[in-house]
Order: sequence, then C-alpha cells, then structure tokens
Amino acid sequence: MPTDPIYLDYSATAPLRREAREAMLPYMEGCFGNPSSLHRWGREARAALDDARDRLAAVIGAAPSEVVFTRGGTEADNMAVLGRAHCMPQAPVVCSAIEHKAVLATVKAAARLTGAPFHVVPVDGDGVVREEQVYALLEEKPSVVSVMWANNEVGAVQPIERLADRCKEAGVSFHTDAVQAFGKLPVRVDEVPVSLLSVSAHKVGGPRGVGALFVRKGTRLHPLIYGGSQERGLRPGTEDVAGAVGLAVAAELAVRDREADMVRLGALRDRLEAGLRAAIPDLVVNAATAKRLATVLSVCIPGADAGALIPALDLEGIAASGGSACSSGSSEPSYVLVAMGLDGQVAAPSARFSLGKETTAEEIERVLATVPAVVERLRSFASA
Amino acid sequence: MEQEKRTVLVAMSGGVDSSVAAALLVEQGHRVIGVTMKTFCYSDVEGAGKTCCGLDGIMDARRVADRLGIPHYVFDVEREFTRDVIDDFVSEYASGRTPNPCVRCNGNTKFRDLLRRGEMLGCDAIATGHYARMGKDEQGRPVLLRGLDEKKDQSYFLWALPTQLLPKLMFPLGELTKPQVREKARQLGLVTAEKPESMEICFVPTGNYVDVLEKRLGSEHPALTAGKLVTPEGETLGEHAGYARYTVGQRRGLGGGRGLPLYVLGSRPETREVVVGTLEQLHRTDLRVEELNWLAAPPTPGEEVRVQIRHRARAVEARVTATGSDGVSLEFGEAQRAVTPGQSAVIFRGDVVLGGGRIAA
Repeated sequence: MPTDPIYLDYSATAPLRREAREAMLPYMEGCFGNPSSLHRWGREARAALDDARDRLAAVIGAAPSEVVFTRGGTEADNMAVLGRAHCMPQAPVVCSAIEHKAVLATVKAAARLTGAPFHVVPVDGDGVVREEQVYALLEEKPSVVSVMWANNEVGAVQPIERLADRCKEAGVSFHTDAVQAFGKLPVRVDEVPVSLLSVSAHKVGGPRGVGALFVRKGTRLHPLIYGGSQERGLRPGTEDVAGAVGLAVAAELAVRDREADMVRLGALRDRLEAGLRAAIPDLVVNAATAKRLATVLSVCIPGADAGALIPALDLEGIAASGGSACSSGSSEPSYVLVAMGLDGQVAAPSARFSLGKETTAEEIERVLATVPAVVERLRSFASA
Repeated sequence: MEQEKRTVLVAMSGGVDSSVAAALLVEQGHRVIGVTMKTFCYSDVEGAGKTCCGLDGIMDARRVADRLGIPHYVFDVEREFTRDVIDDFVSEYASGRTPNPCVRCNGNTKFRDLLRRGEMLGCDAIATGHYARMGKDEQGRPVLLRGLDEKKDQSYFLWALPTQLLPKLMFPLGELTKPQVREKARQLGLVTAEKPESMEICFVPTGNYVDVLEKRLGSEHPALTAGKLVTPEGETLGEHAGYARYTVGQRRGLGGGRGLPLYVLGSRPETREVVVGTLEQLHRTDLRVEELNWLAAPPTPGEEVRVQIRHRARAVEARVTATGSDGVSLEFGEAQRAVTPGQSAVIFRGDVVLGGGRIAA
C-alpha cells in the first residue's frame, strides 16, 4: 500500500469539517436537552435548533418554517415522493431514469402502495432528462415530479429552473434531490420555484445521518412516520440538535466557499480528465458535453474488468467508486450509464472520481501517474 | 527455510476453513487480499430487490478480513456461475447423470476468476481453504497432493483446475485437521469459529436438488415425469416419478417386493426408464472416465493407481487398461458399488492427484 492514499470519492461522502464538529460538540455534552422540554435545558436546545433552521433556510433562500430536518437525504427523498403520492393516491408519480435509488425505488414503491401508475422519463446521451417528455406528462396531473438537480454518478446538471417553472405553471408539485448539487451549484429556492428539495449534510462536510427537506409553504405532504409533532409532524421523534447545527454550519461554509472551490476543483478535474484521455485514448468520458458538476469525472474504460477495476485502484491507494456504493461488488452495469444509452459491455467497466475540499494538484498528478498502468494491467489479463 | 513472501488472493466464503486459511497466510507474513465470490443470490426481503450486500457469507468474510486487517472485495460471478455450473447441473440430471457442481465450479468458474482477477490485482498466488496440499515432483514441478486429514481431504473437488494455475496455488490448511482449524479460529476470535459445516450445494437453498430441477426444467420435463421401472433383463416392475429424481445406488422409494432389495442401477433418458436390480448388480469392476483433465503426467496402460469415485469415498486400487485423449479405462481391484455416471473419478499416484474426469455411462 502506498504511504498516502488518495481519496477521490467525495460524492459518496466527505469528511466532517472541523468547524461543524466544534459547533456540534456543545449539543452532545452540556446542552443536551430535549428541544420539546419547557425548562432551561430544553429552551437552550430549542434555541440551537431554531438557529440552525434559520441559518440553513438563509443559505437556500427559504423561510425557516419551510425547512424540515430529516435523518438524511434518502429520508428527505422518501418524505417528498411518498408524502406527495399519499396526498393524491390516484395520480401518477413521475421521475427521471437517472434518479438516485432513494427517489427511483421510492417512486416505484409509491405506485405499488397507492396503485397509481408511475413514469420514468428517459435521459439523453449526456444524462440530461428529456424535458419535453416530462412536460407531456404534466397533463396527467401527477402527484409529484421528481428530477435531481445534478446526477451523482456522472455529474450531469438537469434543467431544474425550466422544469420547476413548467411544473409550477401546471400546478404540479416538483421535487428535486439536490444532495449532489448543494454546495456545488447555486441552489436557491427563492430563485427556482421548486416545491420540495432534499439536501444531505455529509456531502458538504456535515455529519452523517442528517439532512433536510425544503417544503414550500402551501405544499401538502402526508407524513410517513407518526409520533410527536416535531418538525411540523412530518418528522416526529426527538430532534438531533447537534446534527442540525452541524448541517447548518457545514452548509454555510460550503456555500460561502462554493465559487472559489468550484473554480479550483473544476480545473483539477479538467486536468485529471485531460491526463486520463491522453494516457488512455479509448477512454470514454461520461456526460462529456453536458453541463457537469465541477467535482465529478465519470469514465468508462473499455476492456478493463468491471469487478477488478475499483479493487485494483484501491490496492494502489486510490479511492474511486464504481458507480453505486453497493458492497456486494455487483458487476452489473450502472443503470445510469445504461439509461444514457451506453451498452452493457462498455458501461460495465466504469469509475467515478469525485473531488473535494482536501483534493490537491499533487494528488491528481499521482493519480495520473498510477491509473494508466493499472488499466494496462487489467487489460492485459482480460480473457479474450 | 525462509518462506518466500507473496501477494496472495485468498477466496473467503465466510466459513471457518477459508477464514483460518486467510489468517494463516497473514501470520506467515504474506500480503493478503481477501475476496468472496458471489455465485448465487436469492432475495429474502420482499420488494427490496436483490439484497446481496447482506448475504451472510459475504458479511462473515468481511468481518474476518477486518479482524485480520486485510482488504476484502466481492467478485460477482453470478452470470458465469449460472451459465457454467447451474445450467450444466440441470442438463446433466436431464441426461440421466449425477453431476458434481462443486468440481465444475472450481474448474470452470471460481479458480479461473481468482487467477484472472488475481493477476489484475497484482497477486502472484491464489489460496483457498480446501484441505489439499501443494508439493513438487522429481523435476521440481508443482503437484497437487491430498490433504493430510484423510477425513477432510478435498482434493476430489480440485481435479478440474486449469493446469497453469498450479504454480500459483496455496492451500494453507493442507497439513491440518478440522479440529485444529476450529481451534485456531477460536484462538484468533474469528466470528466464523463455531460456524457449522455447510453440506448443501450453495444454489440449492432447500437442500433438495429436485427443487432446482423443477424450477429450471418445469415439472412437465421428461426427466421429472413418470416412466417405467425395469430390470436389466427387460422386465417391467412398475412406475417411477421421473428418472432425474433417482441416483445410482438409491434404495428408498422403490417398490421392491421380490424378496431381494432393489437398487437403482441407472437410467435410460431416451426411453425414460429407470433400471433397477440387486445389490450384486450394483457392483462393477470396470470404470470409464471421460472429459479428462490432467494435473500431472497421465498414467500409462497397465499402471496401478488409486481412484476415488465419489466424495467421502476411499480411493481404491485400480489398474489402467486403456488411455486416450478422449478417456481412460480402468479395472478396479475389487468390484465397486454404485459407479455413478456424471460423478467425478479422481486418479491418484500415491498422494499425488494425477487428474480426473467424469464417469461415463
């Protein structure tokens, strides 16, 4: 194992930022109260929770009452999709073909539970949803249309402004999973008329297991779990005050540094892309001509064994992802790449490199010095 | 003698044997990489799709790898396994033979994938938890040897390995007995220490192979529908429920009633007949082995060898009567019970596994 492994899997998760950690600690120790309690411990905790809500709301341009803290991005997606489907059980549910499973599987589950149909709208070769097909479905008055802001595997940015506008005109609720876009693109609900928007803390340097769902005032949502009245009854259960504080602090920092970080990381990503293209001429860059997140490089490497590619990189000290983070090591081609029209044979050996705050130019050069040799070795042992 | 340090890819099923194999390699100072082959996956959560991430074997192997401080990966060979092992298993039964899927898997799927991906990962050795040993012949070439623990020896399952793999193979358990392996696992505090022996075939979760045949062939398939029960002399004794449901040597489920107990002698798929006869008729002195694979210099006609015709049977003395590229014929020293077409016959010279093949009809 090389001495300094290189982490290029920030789209999977990012380390907790020091500032977030420090802001969280008081609420796990001294200020441990339950925000629902009336006494001073409760009041302190309540104040911290309200403050975190105000700060996160300000970051995305929402009113504090429109922010619901959740136990993560997946939960926020479930609350949005299922919550809308249960409000209109006869109405179809619509999403794109490249949604994260947190939306895709939930759309299918919603249809199964309500008996309503669902529509999965295809994407083009760059991983961008076929807008006109979404608009055609608006006539069926879906309970919700869910299209992610930016894709987690290839980084393709979706036309969220237009989709949100058209859904609003049609009087249809529009949800976007902004888990990957948040902190990397300007994600503002006062500029884009989305009804529902999911974010996750750990992708922006906050703690794991915390997220938020923006619910625009007037958007009806059926709760999924029952208990107390916390989070407007949408997410009962004693609030995770430290988690909410960590999310708010990490979100503020990510948004504050966003433009500078994205310029720097975009240049590093472009350097990585150019270097890999030069060393591996038949390498395919996914979503190459789409507007992409600056931090993501997804490539297909024909002839490199899909099951051995990520382990081989790992053994060289390079942490990349094979698409989705399923530990079973499935060599099934990624459904996102298949939806983009890459056939199974080409799509299977793929790797996603995702950059983050701690990524350095020196690391990118070391990756460029290592990956071509790994690919060469994989190809030389591939059976005919 | 200072042992050479190698980079070893060790196949970890999540059982105690492969766990200890990995542990011993780590103790010996090798650079060890653990891998679990995902051969077969059935969902146990309704509506949640395939849940291979949670397969017990994979989880246990990962826990052991964590404990040993080695990386662990999963190789998905489900497609190849289905094509090369399960499909073969089904078609062998449909042809009236009794396959050894584990032999087929080792020869066609598991070790080939370990070799190929091991090379991709920069490994120079492949290890498993089989009870077998590696040695060298007079010319210094690597040879496969039986495991020292006679009760556990698993070389029977390894005759079909690709020959080019031999220089890379390591079997860390070859000198040990099962109780020693369990003791080692306990000492190391491995989660798999007390795991029971797995007896069934991995893709037959119910333990009854007929369930797999019914699922894949359909219960209307000729191999699974009624036919005549006949004697070698041509007498019809009654009906059977489908020849693939019977195995050579089987007694249970046959009407019998002629005084002498009846045994399945074989089947005739073309007429759907199952042939039954006496215990004496169940014994044979001749053996024909085809679809050969040699791991060492093949025996020559007239040579006395030992041959094992099923798992958990002793290797018995036999004389080679004819050899050729399409098969080898042998004569047992003593008549053997239930020589079963489709099963593996493995040929030994002393402790050395010369090779083997499938028993012909």
